Amino acid sequence: MMKIQVLFGTESGNAEVAAEDLAESVRNDSQEVEVQDLSSFSISELQHDSMYVFLCSTYGEGDLPNTALPFYADLSVVRPDLSGMRYAMFGLGDTFYTETYGHGATKLDDKLTELGAQRVGEIGRYDASTWEPVGECAVAWFAGVLEDVSAVR
Amino acid sequence: MDTPLSIAVIGSGPSGCYIAQSLRRSFPQSEITIYDRLASPFGLVRYGVAPDHQSTKSIQSQFARLFERENVRFAGNIEVGRDISLDQLRNTHHIVVLAAGLPGDRPVGVPGEDLPEVYRAGRLTRLFNAHPLEQTGVPKLGKSVAIIGGGNVSIDVLRMLIKQPEDFVNSDIDDAVLADYVRAPAGRIDLICRSTITNAPSDPVMLAELGRIQGVRFSCPDPIEVAEGAPRTALARAKAVEGLLAIDPGTETRVEVALHFGWAPVSINGDGHVRNVELRSVNDDRRNLHLDADSVVTAVGFDFDDGDWHGLGALKANLESGAMDHGLYRTGWIKRGSRGTIAENRSCAKAVAEEIVASVDALQRQTKPGYGGLPDEVRARAVDYSAWKRVDAAETEAAPGDRSRRKFPSHEHMVAIAHNKLVQTSAGTGAN
Repeated sequence: MMKIQVLFGTESGNAEVAAEDLAESVRNDSQEVEVQDLSSFSISELQHDSMYVFLCSTYGEGDLPNTALPFYADLSVVRPDLSGMRYAMFGLGDTFYTETYGHGATKLDDKLTELGAQRVGEIGRYDASTWEPVGECAVAWFAGVLEDVSAVR
Repeated sequence: MDTPLSIAVIGSGPSGCYIAQSLRRSFPQSEITIYDRLASPFGLVRYGVAPDHQSTKSIQSQFARLFERENVRFAGNIEVGRDISLDQLRNTHHIVVLAAGLPGDRPVGVPGEDLPEVYRAGRLTRLFNAHPLEQTGVPKLGKSVAIIGGGNVSIDVLRMLIKQPEDFVNSDIDDAVLADYVRAPAGRIDLICRSTITNAPSDPVMLAELGRIQGVRFSCPDPIEVAEGAPRTALARAKAVEGLLAIDPGTETRVEVALHFGWAPVSINGDGHVRNVELRSVNDDRRNLHLDADSVVTAVGFDFDDGDWHGLGALKANLESGAMDHGLYRTGWIKRGSRGTIAENRSCAKAVAEEIVASVDALQRQTKPGYGGLPDEVRARAVDYSAWKRVDAAETEAAPGDRSRRKFPSHEHMVAIAHNKLVQTSAGTGAN
């Protein structure tokens, strides 16, 4: 079983809630899961034998949340070779912001892909305007991603 | 040092909930109680965020977890200074964190501000949100209203005043207040922002949203262009204003809205009643303007009052540290002043929690009983989280079909529901 690393970038804390729920839903005796704030995670810790799950909100004019900016900046400057790394991406946004809805996750996804990492599954999307519980939405999405992963094996 | 740590947080708005979240993580064994003078938790998310911006209010579900899963106690209906003193709280808890926000709207500081038709934005926001401690009755706004202030609160007020009842679907607006206003709605509104479009403190999306409201004609006599290479927010704001100006409701026009950028109020004039507002160009490049107005709404931020905060003297903002005294801290607006969004109060709470963690060894030398050490009569009046859930359920149930909830505008009524006392009263009078 590969290790699952859940990394979140948040402004208001909703991505953190979603990250914890998601981790809880897949954690069991044989599945190692770790949750970390992107602001306290260094790109030098990225491993190729882990599965990464990013949960990322959007801020301002379609920007990454402040807590994710250092990580994103490091990726852009250092440009590590991420080929072989697999990840899934979940974006939190609000369709009230019609033009920039969920752009934070999209930007992070583009960067990871550009550096050679391989995304599994579609980008998950959560719209705060729906009042759906964000945790349930993330859990359901990730269950789908894991099915896709086992299907291609 | 194995004494369980007892922590009191004063105020259950975003800042209080965020600091409780952080402290729960750092001290999982501690006993945390969040006190609030209201019977409901969540503070400004519930009563400050506009009733038609429900997606912002959805952050409440994050805070609800504190009480539902993380063993944090809610003690509503307890006012520090009335039901209990700050000293009592400090004597019974190792750590007390003030997260009570800021009490009042900041004055604009111009002559005429004491005329009867000059209102504070905080009052209007609380009214439309059915705040239980706000005096009732919609102020007399008249046919033309001048709003002083260019931030998001001023745009909230503008939006409330130009919407029609059908625009509030799925909101939790106070319908009695709304009905009162729409009997004599404003026909002209001037929004006066001291900054230019480039530097205005408003969120461009908030401006753009105004364009979705039917029957409004916008004008802006000031330059709209922003310099090339201006920050993206400034470009987006200019684009939003251009979008508003392009709307032509023709004969359907119900209300005219004029946006003024780069104008500062000089005075509010009138003989016993508001007649007009005089404005000065902040760049001194144009002659003073006189705008006719029947009423003025001021929305220029919130501030510390000069009073004695429960024996602590007059408070001033401190951007560096949340520490105030041995075991006494503050976070959010009561620490930094009324700048910043909900998200910025989260990072503020994290920083203050780190300060607390760094100093905790020195605080834990004696046993402090926490909530259990408060007098019986104080604990008897407290509204705990399960009691609040009864109010929550009653509000949701009372909502008309096109509203998300109907907030009860009476504090006593909310407390009665919370304490399960309403049923007996109704049965006694034969009411339904």
